[in-house]
Amino acid sequence: MSDGNPQFTILKAARLVDGNGGPVAEQAAILLEGDTIRQIGTKETVQAPEGASATEIDYGDATILPGLVDCHVHLIGIGDGRAGDDLVTLPDEVLTVQAAQNVRKHLYSGVTTVRDCGAKNRTTFLLREAVEMDIVASPRLILAGRPIAIIGGHLSYFGTTATGPTECRAAVRQLIKEGADFIKVTATGGSTRTSHPSRPSFNIDEFSAITDEAHKFGKHVCAHCTSSGGMENALEAGIDTMIHGVHRDFNGNDSYRPDISERIAEQGVFVNPTLGQGLARIRQLEDNPDLVLETEDIDVMRSGSEVRMDHVARMRDAGVVMVAGSDSAWANYPMGDFQTEIEAHVMAGMSNMEAIVSATRDSAVSCRVDDIVGTLEVGKQADVLVVDGDPTRDIADLRNVHDVFLAGSKIDRHNLV
Amino acid sequence: MILPLQRQNSGKSGNLAAIQRLNKTPELNPPYNPSMAHKSPTYNLLTADRLIDAKGGPPIQNGAVLTRDSEILAVGSAYEIRAPEGASVTNHHYPGATILPGMVDCHTHNNGFGDGRNGQDLAALPDEILTLQSASNARRSLFSGVTTIRENGPKNMTMFRLRDAINEGLTIGPRMILCGRPVSIIGGHMGYFGGEVTGIDECRAFTRQLIKEGADYIKITATGGSTPSSFPLRPAFNLDELKAVTDEAHKFGKLTATHSTSTKGVINSLDANVDMIIHCVYKEPDDTDNFRVDVAERIGEQGAYVNPTLHVGRSKIWSLTQKNRAFGITEQESIELDTAKRELETRLDQNRRMIEMGVKVITGSDSSWGDYQLGNTVYETELLVHAGYSHMQGVLSVTKWASEALGVNDIVGTLEPGKQADILVVDGDPSKNVNDLWNVTDVFFKGENLDRGSEESLSAVRQTPEEINLGSHHSHGGHK
Ligand SMILES: [Zn+2]
Ligand SMILES: [Zn+2]
Repeated sequence: MSDGNPQFTILKAARLVDGNGGPVAEQAAILLEGDTIRQIGTKETVQAPEGASATEIDYGDATILPGLVDCHVHLIGIGDGRAGDDLVTLPDEVLTVQAAQNVRKHLYSGVTTVRDCGAKNRTTFLLREAVEMDIVASPRLILAGRPIAIIGGHLSYFGTTATGPTECRAAVRQLIKEGADFIKVTATGGSTRTSHPSRPSFNIDEFSAITDEAHKFGKHVCAHCTSSGGMENALEAGIDTMIHGVHRDFNGNDSYRPDISERIAEQGVFVNPTLGQGLARIRQLEDNPDLVLETEDIDVMRSGSEVRMDHVARMRDAGVVMVAGSDSAWANYPMGDFQTEIEAHVMAGMSNMEAIVSATRDSAVSCRVDDIVGTLEVGKQADVLVVDGDPTRDIADLRNVHDVFLAGSKIDRHNLV
Repeated sequence: MILPLQRQNSGKSGNLAAIQRLNKTPELNPPYNPSMAHKSPTYNLLTADRLIDAKGGPPIQNGAVLTRDSEILAVGSAYEIRAPEGASVTNHHYPGATILPGMVDCHTHNNGFGDGRNGQDLAALPDEILTLQSASNARRSLFSGVTTIRENGPKNMTMFRLRDAINEGLTIGPRMILCGRPVSIIGGHMGYFGGEVTGIDECRAFTRQLIKEGADYIKITATGGSTPSSFPLRPAFNLDELKAVTDEAHKFGKLTATHSTSTKGVINSLDANVDMIIHCVYKEPDDTDNFRVDVAERIGEQGAYVNPTLHVGRSKIWSLTQKNRAFGITEQESIELDTAKRELETRLDQNRRMIEMGVKVITGSDSSWGDYQLGNTVYETELLVHAGYSHMQGVLSVTKWASEALGVNDIVGTLEPGKQADILVVDGDPSKNVNDLWNVTDVFFKGENLDRGSEESLSAVRQTPEEINLGSHHSHGGHK
């Protein structure tokens, strides 16, 4: 950041939540030096080094937290309900403009790291170039580039399909060559019109080729799974994060499978249940019943959401670690509202503190960036969120964003240029 | 010697009038919030110490403008203008301020960075990145009070794509009059943006292609320029090729503009009936400066507009001066600095003479090109005042006259009932000091009071000036 003398900043507040899940620190303070966290303690103990001066901000009745880590976004999405099949008809330049608006909204809302789980062509890689050129303000980006899909499979319209182990390996190598930080696979169909959401997509030999090749280069693998068959294949292939994690049989009926949950826990696979997606839509329709589409029934949506929340609670009982990832701006869920996903975790049975951990430390661990972000610890990057109030008492206080620091720099959240 | 042109009639003479008969103003980007159309009308009543309607008269003291949705409903004295009975109207009172039309910048390069990088390096960037930069530049200029731009040279489809994104409601930007890509010869200026053609058939075909893609006007590089493989002192196209482009463009009701950095290029442009001459540099093939009164008279007679782009040269002087102070400059840069200062003096003098002759000289920033960044259009207007315009004429050069030059004076450029509610509010009185155009308080675009974000982010857009001594010859000549 600054090439001259180190810049010291001391942030003080009534509370500090470090993201590890322990008790809230009272009357706390944190010292930032440039882009790094240097000291964490009480308002009395935290001080700039002898002789150095520090900018000091006391936020009063506020809470200092780690910048949020959203482990599942679609940066090119618009969140206005349009189907992915229609979204991809927009030119890449237009989608990149949308991605730039989305990263800014997310950053201003308190999210300092995102993992993008699938975009068209090279759009997100080019967005990253623009961020590096300082054209766009953005959280830290962890990118898949394009998801790997079967022919006709979910998200295949983004530009990468593969058949057979050899093409699967080639697809992984190609993505890594282009700059992928991890590999996203669609293990089942999904909303893509030509796909089959209750059926597995890749065969085991293909799937294993993908995970082997990714792991060989130190990249982790996330798999979209909207049915139990897909989950079984994904576990067999050794994936790292299970997205959606829907317990549903081949015919699309809800059917909780304790054996699968046990295996997920045993293998240490993270589950990103994407509960916020449904909750966001239900809330929109509750606020504005005129928006209900012919294809929608709010009662069906509510009971569907309850089933998912129940399955998530049972998975947690089985020892599965849930990580928060909004899946915005997919479908009707615009970016800048990761808080809804976190609130859904509370509705699914987590304590407020557990939900915060799922959106900070655990999410960062699942993204393999916990060495630099996800918790407030000395030596880590100074990605800090300050909210008014106390989200450990009322999770809605996470929406009262007061300030966001990314790598020690305070973000001007009202810069619209 | 020619008589000063009657500006009021200028839009109705020559091929411009023919074009306006043929073609109503193209539908520029529609409102970015289409849902507005279904609500009951929104009224805004703006009042200030004075209002410049930019029709050419003096400011209206205690002026007011009433808007309904995206349109201007009434303009006049604050004592007379009233919202309709029962209408819900939002009042905006601006003590000490001036209300005037949103600015029209007839020459932008939205792809650019204005950080001194050259065009060929710019064009090497991927289209997506250039589109992102264009989106940011579009917001920069809109927030600075520029509500209409004419883009003069982007790469490939980038600006059409930005317009698509604006039309999708994904981002905002001023009204945009687009050329697609400039038409260039092989190796010619800006050929790297993707529009190199040879011969009359290719010239025609490419003009048709651009119009098919959505071009609102056609930009041609009539001479070389900063592009290394081009020859700035020589004409680029042969006359038959140039005519093929202008004829084809005019046939479809599209205006044309040529980049011309030497006298022969200006003459060719006039022979081809070009509507706007950009840069309009009077230079012989051996680089000697030679103001050609006969050529200037012809520009006046044909009613072509001149966009002299003076500040892009001054911005180079500023940036080299700043660099010199911070780190020192090389011998080569020191020569460039001296040349730039000399050229700016010469160009100011040439434009002073054109203004005295009544040639229609207008504001077009040429930003972001060279060291000149978008969001700083006023620097160009200020130099036109330096070249002889009164402060009020400076204001007209970036409002009414610019809108006439672009053929959009039926919808923007002045504050008149029925026109689009693109309105700028500035502290002070730009008719007395054109630099008051910097003091933007509010920008209404299509009737909506824009959220321009934090003061901090807006002030970061303005480039820092340098004191440089230029001969001052305020003549206040020219037409009214
Ligand atoms: Zn997703
Ligand atoms: Zn230019």
